[in-house]
Amino acid sequence: MKFLVVDDSATMRRIVVNSLQRIGFTDTVEAADGQEALARFDGSISFVITDWNMPNMSGTDFTRALRSRPDGVNVPVLMVTARSVKEDILTAMEAGVNNYIVKPFTPQVLKEKIDALLPAAAA
Amino acid sequence: MSSHRTAQVLYETEAALRLVDRGLDGLRDERPDAPPAFFEGGLSELPAILERANAQILGVLARLRESRAAIETTALEKLASTHEKIKEVTSATEDAAINIMDACDRATQMVDELDAIDAEPAPNRERAGEVRGTLRDELFMMMGALQFQDITSQQLAHASAVLVDMEARLIDIARLFDTKVDVSSFVSQVASAAPDEKTYDPNATTRDSESRQALADEIFTAARSNAA
Repeated sequence: MKFLVVDDSATMRRIVVNSLQRIGFTDTVEAADGQEALARFDGSISFVITDWNMPNMSGTDFTRALRSRPDGVNVPVLMVTARSVKEDILTAMEAGVNNYIVKPFTPQVLKEKIDALLPAAAA
Repeated sequence: MSSHRTAQVLYETEAALRLVDRGLDGLRDERPDAPPAFFEGGLSELPAILERANAQILGVLARLRESRAAIETTALEKLASTHEKIKEVTSATEDAAINIMDACDRATQMVDELDAIDAEPAPNRERAGEVRGTLRDELFMMMGALQFQDITSQQLAHASAVLVDMEARLIDIARLFDTKVDVSSFVSQVASAAPDEKTYDPNATTRDSESRQALADEIFTAARSNAA
């Protein structure tokens, strides 16, 4: 299963990728913003983990754009962000995000959210 | 204060002062070939002129006071929140450093224990495996503690944006008092110094992540229940 990890912070991308490796997912692709993520997204990606605040294209705009593509309609999108007010969470949900992790997160939380979305990713 | 507002205040101040100036000039010029006075009534109109000028100047002063109050309120609120953010950056950095140092201490003890196991005549492989597993957990925890860097960089970007905004306001005030001051170079520098607001969350924090995660979980769970 291939993961697309989208975050403008190289530190955060590395933390997420290492966390994924630790729970057994070694196939990952990285992007530094929504535009790059859209360019890198293809049919081989089964799961997307994205930040919200990024230059060029935010995580919510990227998710909306992804959902408008035939190959991106059903792919699970997990947002990992520092934003945590209710309105933000609702906006992310409306954009098409499937689940939400608040930074800073623990590996356990990441694993729980991924496990919950795996059936959709495998479909 | 916007540059439009500044220009308006300056225009009104200048207009009021010109009114007084022209009135007084007209009254003073008593030569036979002098142009007609702006106020034909002569000195008898002086109180009226001064009264009108006074009213206009009072209006300008009121606008200046109002603008100053607006600047002070906004500036103080923003500076107070920036101060809090910078304090939080210091605290988050220290917490992360202490967590990493503690994990380093524990990891060092585990390496020592692995050395001791290896030195035994019949090394306990099972115990060594457990220690290695715990050591990996510690190393992973150290990496996770580095998440503070992403959040504190957002907090610093917010603080930087507030400072850039304050600088722009000070330039506006400088223009208000001296229109000849050339601030074009400062303005372009200030504009280019501002961080991209799309790249940070002004409310980013390292605090209360568990309760904030609980809120997100509650919202998503409720949405799923409604959908089902």
